[in-house]
Amino acid sequence: MTTKTLVYIEINDNKTEIVSKEIVSHVSKHFSDTEICAVVVGSEQAIQACFDEINSLGADKIFIVQNELLAKYNVCVYSKVVAQLINNIQPDVFLMGATSYGRELAPRIASNLDIGLTADCTDLQLDTEGLLLATRPTYGGKMMATIISKTKPNFATVRKGAFKFKQPDVKQPEICYYDADFSGIENILNKTEVLASEIKAQPDDWTSAEVIIAGGLGLKSKENFELIYKLAELLGAKPAASRAAVELGWASQSIQVGQTGCCVSPKLYIAFGISGALQHMSGLSNAEKIIAVNIDKSAPIMNAADVAIPADAPDVINSLISKLSN
Amino acid sequence: MTFKIAVFIKQVPDTDDIRWTEHNTIQREGLESVINPYDIGAIQLAKNVKFLLDDCEITAVSMGPVQTKDALREALAMGCDNAYLLCDKKFAGSDTLATAYVLSKFIKSHLNDFNLIICGYQAVDGDTAQTPSSLAQKLDIPQITGVTALKEITNDYSIWFKSSSTLNQQIKICHPALISTTINNTEILPDINGYIKAQAADIKILCAQDLQTEADKTGFAGSPTQVKKAFRPVIERSTKIIEENNVTKIADYILAAIQECKEQDDN
Ligand SMILES: Cc1cc2nc3c(=O)[nH]c(=O)nc-3n(C[C@H](O)[C@H](O)[C@H](O)COP(=O)(O)OP(=O)(O)OC[C@H]3O[C@@H](n4cnc5c(N)ncnc54)[C@H](O)[C@@H]3O)c2cc1C
Ligand SMILES: Nc1ncnc2c1ncn2[C@@H]1O[C@H](COP(=O)(O)O)[C@@H](O)[C@H]1O
Repeated sequence: MTTKTLVYIEINDNKTEIVSKEIVSHVSKHFSDTEICAVVVGSEQAIQACFDEINSLGADKIFIVQNELLAKYNVCVYSKVVAQLINNIQPDVFLMGATSYGRELAPRIASNLDIGLTADCTDLQLDTEGLLLATRPTYGGKMMATIISKTKPNFATVRKGAFKFKQPDVKQPEICYYDADFSGIENILNKTEVLASEIKAQPDDWTSAEVIIAGGLGLKSKENFELIYKLAELLGAKPAASRAAVELGWASQSIQVGQTGCCVSPKLYIAFGISGALQHMSGLSNAEKIIAVNIDKSAPIMNAADVAIPADAPDVINSLISKLSN
Repeated sequence: MTFKIAVFIKQVPDTDDIRWTEHNTIQREGLESVINPYDIGAIQLAKNVKFLLDDCEITAVSMGPVQTKDALREALAMGCDNAYLLCDKKFAGSDTLATAYVLSKFIKSHLNDFNLIICGYQAVDGDTAQTPSSLAQKLDIPQITGVTALKEITNDYSIWFKSSSTLNQQIKICHPALISTTINNTEILPDINGYIKAQAADIKILCAQDLQTEADKTGFAGSPTQVKKAFRPVIERSTKIIEENNVTKIADYILAAIQECKEQDDN
């Protein structure tokens, strides 16, 4: 093995984040000749709850940093222990999911180690020299940039849904318990305190659904948008929305697709009444097939989809629903 | 004791106004510049703090080329009390790590007795959201990312509402601290007095020497990340158009496509 790639496995509520699994899958498939290491940080109980899942992700080695002081996520504390581990094992590449935690944790780790960081990537490649080529959208999705870094490890965060998770063949990873230095940590923990916390209703890992039914402003009303949920349910598919629909309150931000929402990678994406702005399409680059239903033949999506159907979206949805209900 | 707030603002190109050169790069000349919308949210929060505390001073700070003075003048008109521009050829080309370094050196040299730093959640030109965390680490202070509102504040601590995609939280933090905010596109109208004050105000310009930055930590030289290539997203799909007036037939077509995708799965 000529290089070492470390992937941060994020765990929340006794589950591993899908994006962490997607990264391991991508690295296994696309990085040749690299040792895949995973690191997981938390209390013993939290790590135990996810242990089997992490064990079967396809990593060669798993580093476990467990301590009761890590029971509650704290960006200052987590960044400190991960930076210690990195100094210790010296990976060539370090990857993390661009979740809400990842987006604050990663820059704090990078700043601690004085290394570069490329955020919110949608593609990663390892060149023959072991250099990470990290591609991300920029200027609100109007441009893509491939970024390299002069410092080691080459560090990037990855958008959820940019890669596909594939359950790997059985492999028995080596487990290493890492003894981090916790001196001074209590003092840091005392500086912030979560007084109240409420979990928002969250659709499960919908971004990796096989079929996604999305709606936009072309649906014209909240009532019509409800048809998207109904159709998705009848089809065993997941609903999604454009930002314009989210802004009008027709759908929750958690199901927005695009630059400021989620990346999705379904086998089939059906867009009803969505114009196909670049910011929306940037969340769709990994969709296998896109069907667009739009009344306006000249809408951008009518050139960007695989199949373009000029038609009235509510009409088509109603027809689908009545067929499926029979 | 005066409660001191630093608000970090960035001037960004108006992304709605982007035009392309023939080489597929962004046409920078004639591009309108605006204050990053999230940083206007940061100014708004600073004003909320000032409203609640008797003795409070807001300092707006930006690193950028000389034109950034316009953004700082606007910040003054919106109610900031002082403004500093960190401007030096040596800073040009800084990535977020180098930027956070320069900002941290400003704090250490000119505002070391600050109580609170407020940043925008992210800048709309790069959408990286890295600078605030990176800066908090350099100053070794606690942080909250993405607050939406202030609940309570004293000189020693503050309590904020935060909303992420999964949680709604109330978080208490001890000062000195850094927060970033997801409030954006709030337009604070400068009042007449603010406007007059801003015209007369002196925007202090500080260079590398004033901040005592090390040359190998700023600008291109101090930036580990580099753009290897930039390109416009290409849409590689070739589109088939289905011309069909009969809605039932369209529905059949779509159901067949879904069926096909499920069958693939079985193989
Ligand atoms: C920094 C930035 C980030 C952004 N991030 C995102 C993002 O993450 N996701 C996102 O989606 N957008 C994003 N946007 C917004 C994006 O630019 C578009 O404004 C948005 O995607 C438009 O949503 P829409 O297609 O639903 O609405 P519109 O653009 O208004 O399109 C509605 C479409 O419906 C069609 N239509 C009308 N009537 C019917 C009918 N009866 N039947 C069928 N079709 C009909 C119309 O022809 C039109 O094409 C972002 C913008 C910025 C500046
Ligand atoms: N050059 C800069 N000058 C001042 N503040 C900045 C600068 N760059 C970034 N910031 C601050 O960091 C936030 C996030 O920016 P970014 O990391 O570029 O997405 C901005 O909203 C600003 O508050």
